[in-house]
Amino acid sequence: MSLKWKTINIQKPGKKFNILGHMEQAYDVVVIGGGPGGMGAALGARESGVARVLILDRESEPGGILLQCIHSGFGLHYFKEQLTGPEYAERFLNKVIDDNVKIMAGSYVSGIAVDSDGTKQVRVLSEDHGQVIVKTRAVVLSMGCRERTRGAIRIPGTRPSGVLTAGLAQKFVNMMGMLPGKRIAILGSGDIGLIMARRLMLEGCEVVGVFEYLPYSNGLTRNVVQCLEDFGIPLHLSTTVAYIHGRDRVERITVAPVEKDLKPDLSQARDIQCDTLLLSIGLIPENELSQSLGIRLDLITGGPWVSSTLETSMPGVFACGNVLHVHDLVDYVTRESLLAGRFAGEWAQGVRRPVDNIRLIPGDNVRYCVPHSLSTEREHTIYMRCKTVMQPCKIRVGNLMEKKLRFVVPAEMIMLKIKPHLLDKFHGDTLRIDILPEDA
Amino acid sequence: MTEAEQYICIGCPIGCPLRLEHEGDKIIEISGHDCDRGAKYAKQEFTEPRRDFSTTVAISGARWNRLPVKVNRQIHKDRVMEGARIIHELQVEAPVKLGQVLIKNVFGEEGIDVVACRTMDRVIS
Repeated sequence: MSLKWKTINIQKPGKKFNILGHMEQAYDVVVIGGGPGGMGAALGARESGVARVLILDRESEPGGILLQCIHSGFGLHYFKEQLTGPEYAERFLNKVIDDNVKIMAGSYVSGIAVDSDGTKQVRVLSEDHGQVIVKTRAVVLSMGCRERTRGAIRIPGTRPSGVLTAGLAQKFVNMMGMLPGKRIAILGSGDIGLIMARRLMLEGCEVVGVFEYLPYSNGLTRNVVQCLEDFGIPLHLSTTVAYIHGRDRVERITVAPVEKDLKPDLSQARDIQCDTLLLSIGLIPENELSQSLGIRLDLITGGPWVSSTLETSMPGVFACGNVLHVHDLVDYVTRESLLAGRFAGEWAQGVRRPVDNIRLIPGDNVRYCVPHSLSTEREHTIYMRCKTVMQPCKIRVGNLMEKKLRFVVPAEMIMLKIKPHLLDKFHGDTLRIDILPEDA
Repeated sequence: MTEAEQYICIGCPIGCPLRLEHEGDKIIEISGHDCDRGAKYAKQEFTEPRRDFSTTVAISGARWNRLPVKVNRQIHKDRVMEGARIIHELQVEAPVKLGQVLIKNVFGEEGIDVVACRTMDRVIS
């Protein structure tokens, strides 16, 4: 397979780019990951004025997970129109190529070393060039996230084939042209699971049901309606998979309603015939590389701890996209990564912004907030997630401001702008953010 | 005779349960919505429920076995399955360009085309 792929050049009509001769070259910014986050960061870096920007991607072509997300719904914020994943990716790829960003696909980053003068040496295993050391001033981490698997929630039972994550099934169906099975059950009501339910129905599979252990769906209402209800697929809330049966292949699953403590009530269990179980049970930022660098991670987000310039605890190393925290919309990833790229570009040019002097503390009903600290001299956008549903409610930022909201749900990220004039009057070093009932 | 339809609003995560009363094609009353979006959605769903539709088709000579495609306009909800069947028959050969029309007037209706969602180059194997 690798021989076949070797002949491929990623190209735009009339514009071939040659990636030979990288080894000797030094870069201003190297971006690790060629998904929407990486492409946004590369564009941001170019915008900041640096010339030499490189994207490293381990897949055979850049674009990331967007390439397998063939449904529409991308780009409403950024392009003001509904695009499918591959369309969104291709628009960005064209921008990136037009902007003279170098792309090295089929290249896996196996480590980063830092010289005494702060120069980073990125060690790359490349399909075309073997092992290469790329020198750079700044690095942007945008490796994205991966799916939680069966092991993460420890579903009891045998270990037959036919248990796989929804995103993997998506790649099988939408890119490789293979169906994972015929009678399919889905555990977890995240958006990928809902979208795969519809997708498999359209491809002629039978979807026997979507099971969610929480009393509400984790996906967008739009997806519940258009992916499940339109196709008559049942959604079983407060129900989980208690056992997987089958020797070589999944034969059936046992499902059971969950009680208040979220444990399955086995006295009410029932069996469901199916040959495949898809898991849509959450995403984890992919931070093995960050960990190998000794970068400080936030245990809640699973991503790096970042300052208001999206710089990690290692100077000159920035992070954006789903490797930082899992986003709802690709448009938000794009916005964040353009910013991270700009700051990385600035850093490469020797610009040092004032160090942040306010630490953000997630308070009542706030699971996390990113970035983790603020400076006082400019406007900031804080992304956060709540712990439980609250409606109506208000966000309180220390004693600086309050903002009313109609509702908060854990599945939807909250965005909060903080103006510099508010911070001007603030003299503390920590700022606590709470989400409270409206009358509190 | 007054009949009622039930919908769940997709405007935001609250998902208001909507109720639309009608006599034949005439809408009498919409209730259950918390904001204007709900009323608008119920009306749209009653008069003409439209959906985005995208799928994949077989492609040969390319890096992948499937090419993502979409119908360039929203189509009526009841036509989704029919569309899936028609498009499923299609076989294309690389190279294909983003936006290239693969089936013109897919339901025999002017202006509704099936287009490619990405560029796929020809790969020499």
